[in-house]
Amino acid sequence: MRYSPSFARSSGLIPTLVALAALALLPLVFDGNYLRHLLVLAFIFAIVASSWDLSLGYGGLFNFSHVALFAVGIYAYGLVAKTLGLSPWLGLVVAGGAAGLVAALITLPIMRLSGIYIILVTIAASQVLYQIVISQSQITGGTSGMVSLPGLELFGYRMSRDGKIGYYYLALAMLVASTILLYRITRSRWGRAIVAMRDHKYYAISRGMSETRTRLFTLTVSAAISGVAGGLYGSYMRVASPDNFGLGLLGLLLSMLLLGGAGTIWGPILAAFFVTIVSEALAEYGAWRNIIMSLLLIVILIFYPGGLWALLQTAREAFDVVRTQAIATLRRRSGKAAREALTGGQERIISTRHGRVAVADGGGNGPALLFIHGNSSAKEAFAEQFKAFRDRYRVISFDLPGHGVSDNADPEQDYSVEAFADVAEDVLQALGVTNPLVFGWSLGGYIAIELAARGYPIRALSVSGTPPLRVVPEDVGKAYDATSHFALASRRFLSPSEVRDFATSTTGPRDRATKHLHRAVMRTDGRARAYTLGKLQIVDWPRQMRFLRAAAVPFAILNGSKDPFLNHQYFRELKLTQWTGEPADVVGAGHAPFLTMPAAFNARLAAFLEAVEKGNSMSQTTDRPTIPE
Amino acid sequence: MTQPLLLDVRGLDGGYEPLQIFRKIDLQLAHGGSVGLFGPNGHGKTTFLRTLSGIIDPWDGDIFFEGVQLNRPGPRGSRRWRNFNYDAVTRRRMDPKSVARAGLIHVPQGNLLFPDMTVAETLSIAPYASSGRASASETLDYVFKLFPRVQERLGSKIRFLSGGERQMVAISVGLMAAPKLLILDEPTLGLSPKLRGELAAAILTIRQSGVPLIVVDQDIAFLESLIDTLYLFDHGRISRRIEKADMPTHEEIMKLMFGEEHR
Amino acid sequence: MTFDTLTLILLGGVVLGALYALMATGLALVWTTLGIFNFAHGTFIALGAYIAWQVASPEALGGGLLVGALVSVVGMFFIGMAVYYLLIKPFERSADIVVKSVITTLAGATILENLISIAWGPRNKQLSAVLTGDLQFFGLVMSRNEAAAVIVSLVILAALGIFLQRAPLGRAMRAVAQNREAAQLMGIDVVRLYAVAFGLSAALAAIAGVLIGSIRFMNPLMGSDPLMKALIVVIFGGIARFTGPIYAAFIVGLLEAFMTYAVGLYWSPTVLFAIMIVVLVVKPEGLFGKHRKSV
Repeated sequence: MRYSPSFARSSGLIPTLVALAALALLPLVFDGNYLRHLLVLAFIFAIVASSWDLSLGYGGLFNFSHVALFAVGIYAYGLVAKTLGLSPWLGLVVAGGAAGLVAALITLPIMRLSGIYIILVTIAASQVLYQIVISQSQITGGTSGMVSLPGLELFGYRMSRDGKIGYYYLALAMLVASTILLYRITRSRWGRAIVAMRDHKYYAISRGMSETRTRLFTLTVSAAISGVAGGLYGSYMRVASPDNFGLGLLGLLLSMLLLGGAGTIWGPILAAFFVTIVSEALAEYGAWRNIIMSLLLIVILIFYPGGLWALLQTAREAFDVVRTQAIATLRRRSGKAAREALTGGQERIISTRHGRVAVADGGGNGPALLFIHGNSSAKEAFAEQFKAFRDRYRVISFDLPGHGVSDNADPEQDYSVEAFADVAEDVLQALGVTNPLVFGWSLGGYIAIELAARGYPIRALSVSGTPPLRVVPEDVGKAYDATSHFALASRRFLSPSEVRDFATSTTGPRDRATKHLHRAVMRTDGRARAYTLGKLQIVDWPRQMRFLRAAAVPFAILNGSKDPFLNHQYFRELKLTQWTGEPADVVGAGHAPFLTMPAAFNARLAAFLEAVEKGNSMSQTTDRPTIPE
Repeated sequence: MTQPLLLDVRGLDGGYEPLQIFRKIDLQLAHGGSVGLFGPNGHGKTTFLRTLSGIIDPWDGDIFFEGVQLNRPGPRGSRRWRNFNYDAVTRRRMDPKSVARAGLIHVPQGNLLFPDMTVAETLSIAPYASSGRASASETLDYVFKLFPRVQERLGSKIRFLSGGERQMVAISVGLMAAPKLLILDEPTLGLSPKLRGELAAAILTIRQSGVPLIVVDQDIAFLESLIDTLYLFDHGRISRRIEKADMPTHEEIMKLMFGEEHR
Repeated sequence: MTFDTLTLILLGGVVLGALYALMATGLALVWTTLGIFNFAHGTFIALGAYIAWQVASPEALGGGLLVGALVSVVGMFFIGMAVYYLLIKPFERSADIVVKSVITTLAGATILENLISIAWGPRNKQLSAVLTGDLQFFGLVMSRNEAAAVIVSLVILAALGIFLQRAPLGRAMRAVAQNREAAQLMGIDVVRLYAVAFGLSAALAAIAGVLIGSIRFMNPLMGSDPLMKALIVVIFGGIARFTGPIYAAFIVGLLEAFMTYAVGLYWSPTVLFAIMIVVLVVKPEGLFGKHRKSV
C-alpha cells in the first residue's frame, strides 16, 4: 500500500510557497548586507544538511565524512578556478563530481559494515582527506589553505556586487533545486529502496534490491549535492580552509540535521536557518557560544529528539485541534436547523464518559434502531434511513467524539473502538433505550460488534463495509483491498485535496447528498483518525469473533458490491452465521450503500429487520464444512 | 493472618511502546504451586514474562511477590506529547535487579548467556541475585549433580556449547540465584528428542525439590507433569484457567484455543 | 639507517604505544560495555591533565605530581560517571542510542574543551616530569620520565586486566557487555555498571593525560589527536579481547615512529588511516578479534 500524492496535492505546498516568496522578496525589502550574508550561509548549509539526511536519515548510513566531502567540493572549486584558472562555473560542476567520486571510494570500505563501524571509518576517511590536503601544501596551501579564490560571474556581472545579491539568489536557487532533487529521489524507486534497506534490509535484498548499489547511489548522490554546495561556498567565501574537514564544522552541520529532525528533508533546512542565526547571534560570547550551542543540542536531543520538525508537527496538531473544535462549536450553533431537516430527528447534546456528543433522535414509540457512522463522517450520513425507518422505528444516530458537532476529546482515553462503544452505551442509556437494533458502517461496524460482544443487550446487529477480523494486523491485509486512499484513513492531517479524495472514495463525489459528509471529513479531529486506527490492534478481536461465531444475536452484512476497500472473498471465507448465507451485498454500490443507493439498501435492511422480528433471521445458516486439521 | 500468595499479578497491561501486547493479565500462584502458560507463538507470553521480571515496564496493574509490590503502583503516566522523550524524565517502573534479588528468577527463551565467558565464570557471577539466600558451594554441588555435563564443560566458553548444554547452563545459572520462583520460557525449544527428555527429567527433579515454576512450553504432557494450574494465553489475554484435575488433552486444548477453525 | 636511529625509533614507538594502549583501552572499555563510542574521551585526557596541573603545579596549588595525578584520577572517575548519567543514560531505552551518543559526546567534548579554555586559557602548559635524568641499558638511552610512563601504563593495564578477569565486578562488567538482558535477569545493576565503566574509562584517560602532560605539552585540544590514534588502535585490535587494543597500540606506535622517520611527519597519519581502512575491509573484527561483535 503506497500513498504518495504529488507535492501540489500535499499540505506542504502552501507553506513552502509562502516561505519561498518571503525569501525571494526579502533582499528587495531589507538592505542589510549582514542579514543577506547570514542567509547565504544558511542556504548553503541547508543544502549540505538536507543532502546529508539522504544517507543518514533516510538510509540509516552514518556517513560522517559528508562534511569532509563538502570540503572536498571547496578545494575542487579552488583547484579548478584558481590553480588551473578555468571557469569558476566549471569549478562548481567539478566540485560536485569530485565529492561524488571520493564518496564512491569511501563506499568501498564500508560496503560490508554497519552502525558504529561506518561512523568510525567515515571519520577516519575524513582524517585521511584532511591529512592529504595539508600534506600537499604546494597545491593546497597546507595548513593555511587557499586564499583569494575567484568569485562567480554571470555575463560579466560579479555575483558579489550590490551587497552579494547575486550570491543570495544563486544560493536560494540552488537550495530550491537540491530540495526538488532530494524530494524526487526520496519518492522514487531509489528512495524507497534506500528506506527499505534501512528498515528491512534482508527483506529488501530478498526482493532483489542490491545493498551495494543502494549504498553507492545514496552516498554518491548526497555527496555530489554537498560538493556543489562546497563549490558555491568556496566561490562565496573565496577561501578554502583545512578547518572545514574538522570536527567543528561537522558538529555544526550535525546539529542542524538533528535539531531539524532526521528522516525529513524539511527539518534540516529549517534548522540550518535556525542554527546559523542563533549561532551568529551568540557570536560575541566567544567560547561560551560553543558551550551554549552544544548544551542546546544536548537538551533538545534528550528531551525532544524529533527536533524542530516534530515541534512544527506538534504545533500543527495543536492548531488543528483548535480549528476542528472551532468548526464543531460554530456548526453546533448555526447549522442545527439544517441538520435536523436532513434527518428529521431532534438534535441534542448528551454527556458521556468520553465527552459531550451530539445525538439525532427520530423519536417515536417504535423499537430503537441505532446507526453508528464511520471514520471521519457524521450522523447525517444516515439521513435517508432516518426518513425511511421513522414510521416503524425510533431511529437514533450520534456523532462520535471528535466528529460532526460532538466535541473533540482526549485522544488517549476517548479515541478508540472501545471508548466509542462506551459512548454508544451512554447515549442509549441517556435516551432510555434498551435492546436496540444496531447498524454500524465501516469503523462504526466494529463499534457495533464491540458493543454487542461485550454483552450489551441488543436485538440485532448489522454492519456494512466492516470485515470482522480474527487476528490483527494479519487479517487487515486479507480483508481489505488496500487502495491508495485507504492510507488516508489513519492520517492525522489531510490537505484539502486529500479531504476531497477521502470523502470521494468513501461516500462518493461531492454533490447535494454528500456535501455535508465532505464537510464532516474536514471537521474531524485528525487525532481521532490516528489514535482509533492506531489502537485497532488492542481491540479484543477474539472476543468479537467468538461472539459472531456463537450467533446468539441476528447478524447481517450489507456491503456495497463495488466497495473499493473490501476483499469480498474474505467475507465468504469467514463463513459466519448470518441472515443470508453470504453477505447481502447491495449490487453496484460502493463503500456507503445506504447513502449512494438508499432505496436498495433500505429494502435490504428492512427485510432483515422484519426477519428479526419474525424470529427467522437465521434461516439460511451456512452449511459449514469441517476442515481437516 | 493468612500468608500472602507467592506471586499475585493483577490486571497487568504492557507491551512495547506504542504497541500494547497484553492486557489485564491476572495470575495467582500460591507457595509451593506451579503454573504453566500455553498458547500460540506471538501472542505475548514472552512479553508478559519479560514484564514480570522487569525487563520492560508494565503499563498498568500490580505485581506482588510474597506480598511485596514489585512495580510502582498505579498506571503509567500519560505519554501525550508524542515527540517528548519521556524516558529521559521518568524513572523505570520496575527494576529487574530487585526482582531477581527478591528471588523471582527468569530463564529467558533461547538464552544466549555470555558467549565469551566460560561456564565457570558465568556460574560465578550468578549468586549476584541470590542475596545470600543460599550458599553458593552447596548450590553448585546440587547443580553438578543435576547436570553433570555442566561440570564437564566448566572451562569452555559459552559460545562453544551446544544448544542443549547452553540451556542446561542457563537453568543452572537460574538455580545458582536461589530462586523462590523460577520462570522457564520454552526450556526445551529446538532441542533433539533425546536432549529434550534429559532436560525435561531435570526440570521435573527441580520441581520435585520444591521450587515453584512458571513454565511456558508447547508440550501439554510435559507441562502437565510439572504444574498445578494451566493458563491459556491467547491474543495477549488469559483466555482460560484450568486446574490440574480438569487438564484437557492436546486436541481439546487446540479446540479451546482455536475453535473449529484450527488450520 | 644506523643502529642509533633504529633504537631511537623503537623507543619512541614503545612510548607512543604505551600511551596509545592506555587511551585505546579506556575507549574500548566503554565501547565493549555500552556499545557506544565516546568522542569526549580525548577531552577527558585534556581535562585529566589540567586537573592534575591545577593540583600539582607550583603555579597553582603546588601539591606535587603524585597528589595531582591521584586527585585527577579520582576526579575524572566521577566526572566520567556524571557524563554517563547526563549524556548517555537518557537514551537508554532509545533505539538509535549509537548515533545519538555520538552527537551528545561530541557536544559534551565541545563544552568541556571550551570550559578548559575559559578556566586555564589556551596557552601551552606542562606538568613536571615524574622522574628526571636518563636511563641507560644495553647501550640504549631513554629518559627516566618516558620509562616511567611506559611502566605506569603497563602496570595499570595489567591491573585492569586482572580486575576484569577475576573480580566479581569486572566479570559482571564483561557479562553486561556480552548480554545486557541476561545480566539484568541475574540481578546485576546494569546502569551502575555502565556508570562505573564510564568512570573507569575516564580515569584511564586521566592517567594518559597526566603522562602526556609530563612528557609533552598540554593545551585544551591536546586530546583530539590521541583520540584519533586511539580510534585507529581500537579498530586495528578489535574489541573482542581485552588485549587486542594493547597489542595494536604498540604496533601502531612503532609503525608511527617508523613512518615519521621514513615518509615524513605529514604522511604518516595518512598511511595509518589508509591501513586502518584496509584492515576494516579485510577483517572488520580487528586483527586480534576472532568474532565480530555486532554493534
